[in-house]
Amino acid sequence: MLGKGGKRKFDEHEDGLEGKVVSPTDGPSKVSYTLQRQTIFNISLMKLYNHRPLTEPSLQKTVLINNMLRRIQEELKQEGSLRPMFVTASQPADPLSDNFREAQPAFSHLASQPLLPTDFVSTMPLESCLTPASLLEDDTFCTSPAVQHDGPTKPPPPALQPVKDSFSSALDEIEELCPAPTSAEAVAAETAADDSKAHPSESNIHKPEGLPESRTAESKLMDSLPGNFEITASTGFLTDLTLDDILFADIDTSMYDFDPCTSATGAASKMAPVSADELLKTLAPYSSQPVTPNQPFKMDLTELDHIMEVLVGS
Amino acid sequence: FLGAGGGNDIQWCFSQVKGAVDDDVAEADIISTVEFNHSGELLATGDKGGRVVIFQQEQENKTQSHSRGEYNVYSTFQSHEPEFDYLKSLEIEEKINKIRWLPQKNAAQFLLSTNDKTIKLWKISERDKRPEGYNLKEEDGRYRDPTTVTTLRVPVFRPMDLMVEASPRRIFANAHTYHINSISINSDYETYLSADDLRINLWHLEITDRSFNIVDIKPANMEELTEVITAAEFHPNSCSTFVYSSSKGTIRLCDMRASALCDRHSKLFEEPEDPSNRSFFSEIISSISDVKFSHSGRYMMTRDYLSVKIWDLNMENRPVETYQVHEYLRSKLCSLYENDCIFDKFECCWNGLDRQVEFFSVLHFSIVMTGSYNNFFRMFDRNTKRDITLEASRENNKPRTVLKPRKVCASGKRKKDEISVDSLDFNKKILHTAWHPKENIIAVATTNNLYIFQDKMN
Repeated sequence: MLGKGGKRKFDEHEDGLEGKVVSPTDGPSKVSYTLQRQTIFNISLMKLYNHRPLTEPSLQKTVLINNMLRRIQEELKQEGSLRPMFVTASQPADPLSDNFREAQPAFSHLASQPLLPTDFVSTMPLESCLTPASLLEDDTFCTSPAVQHDGPTKPPPPALQPVKDSFSSALDEIEELCPAPTSAEAVAAETAADDSKAHPSESNIHKPEGLPESRTAESKLMDSLPGNFEITASTGFLTDLTLDDILFADIDTSMYDFDPCTSATGAASKMAPVSADELLKTLAPYSSQPVTPNQPFKMDLTELDHIMEVLVGS
Repeated sequence: FLGAGGGNDIQWCFSQVKGAVDDDVAEADIISTVEFNHSGELLATGDKGGRVVIFQQEQENKTQSHSRGEYNVYSTFQSHEPEFDYLKSLEIEEKINKIRWLPQKNAAQFLLSTNDKTIKLWKISERDKRPEGYNLKEEDGRYRDPTTVTTLRVPVFRPMDLMVEASPRRIFANAHTYHINSISINSDYETYLSADDLRINLWHLEITDRSFNIVDIKPANMEELTEVITAAEFHPNSCSTFVYSSSKGTIRLCDMRASALCDRHSKLFEEPEDPSNRSFFSEIISSISDVKFSHSGRYMMTRDYLSVKIWDLNMENRPVETYQVHEYLRSKLCSLYENDCIFDKFECCWNGLDRQVEFFSVLHFSIVMTGSYNNFFRMFDRNTKRDITLEASRENNKPRTVLKPRKVCASGKRKKDEISVDSLDFNKKILHTAWHPKENIIAVATTNNLYIFQDKMN
């Protein structure tokens, strides 16, 4: 996975998902790189937009997070430029297909990876990709009704038609692991044992589809941001991706359950450092055993069942 | 590592701990800055509640030559209060970001304390005498009926219980749009600088209604902002030279004689990125959280998230020394980003005494100290290249018992007494440390406690 030809030891693999270079050109590791990038992208967005402090947020922190987002977006753009479809347009509203394509980077998250340049065929069916919430509003978007309903609330594990076999099996594994609601809970149970973690951002993220026009929603958001948020308010880097698509789409946060409140008070710091790393480990099981990552979920499902029985039965 | 024996290895012993014992930390008690004065007799702390507490070292007891004087509370005062910015509808925190002492010129002590927006000059003075024997007033202050006065006397000063008073002498306000992160007193002892995220201002200690802007990195279009100022300090000897560090890991040295606005640096210190260590978090962990000149002014030290670097002012393209503080965290950066720990601002400090005279020979030693997580702090001996990890904790800390070195096990089998990375408590961070200017006494601040350690004197 490190792509340097060195023999991979268990320890190195544990370390290798973070921090080290995961070259985007290696086979299955490219997906883990993309996964990691997407996770970081989502975390960064949440940091910027969910933070409602009484005091002014730290400009340094805001700038660093912004830079992170910009860098990822640049990368996405560059990868997208390998496929003509991914050319970013400044008017997201018009050709639906354009809008659709541009929105992809925002949520090509855990379940599907439509972003992978080498894998993409222009004939890939729309059903296999997630649909941005704003598109669902659009009456003219009626080519695949299946997508409309499935889109943001229940990100389905799409039946991708992969090109490479090893890749498809890897993707299948990800799909198995990735958010169907029960398995998502299992992951949440596994990685975030702290029940007291309320998730105030949940309501922001899981907005219903009944959204107003993207521009007004965006301006509302901007108005509600406190004081010196000049940088994020202008969102220069976000104009290509409709702000709505990112913010109000159904980003599944259960995989990296974190609570901005507790991180501020530091209540569960001890848990948090474990969760994101383990998350990345379980999501990209490319080491050897495809079976292992499923087992924790199965175990937790039985545990959940057991707990439910105890609660309800006795 | 240090403490393993040898001539000038320091053996650190617990001396004192100040602050509440219980684990439930009140937000206001969180220590936000620690600073010895120039003689080391006074030790000031600032906290999140806007208070300054000053400790004073007892004069050495001749009979107790095995330990140096203890630090006891000398003065406590409320330096800053929370304010409300009505324009932005935001609170201005009263948290004390930095304290800097002025050198003592007379009986009183002076220090600068700052929160995000306002710097204050405080005078701390002692009163141990009071006048008694007024003709027209009773001792309790009531005025006497003049007709009852039959004799005259001269009032005299009589001793009283020591009273330490702190009074604000200057308030330097309304000069910073962004959050002040540093203040630094010039070697001329007349001026000082204050730095916020985008600007640095120069003040005269006597003048509060005017300051000069000497650095401004605010772009015309805020959307283009990608870098902020993180720390700034005056050179210890050259009163026209200062440095400032950035969130991109660069340090700029500026000379105020070059131009009024020092937007163009005289020197730019930056280490090229190590390509084998590149990650999503490279920029964030390169952000410099503290910069400190050495006493000679020949070197400066910077602290970024994972390391401490020593720079020779004559060499801009790379540091002369790099010390890893907690390299084992490199594989945890994503989690540390998620829980915001990656933005923690660790400070660093040089040892106080550059040299010590021992048996007619002069030994130079140079040690740098910085904090980490789990209430660990680290020291690096620049001469022996040895390092040590110590813990500030109430357990196992008896006076005059040498502190036991700690070790973190990064991966693989954990040896006895080692702590694994996953057991580290990231809530227990040591951000602020200070070294006595003349003796081997150090002050280490955990979240709400102040530990004082000293070397074992034989």
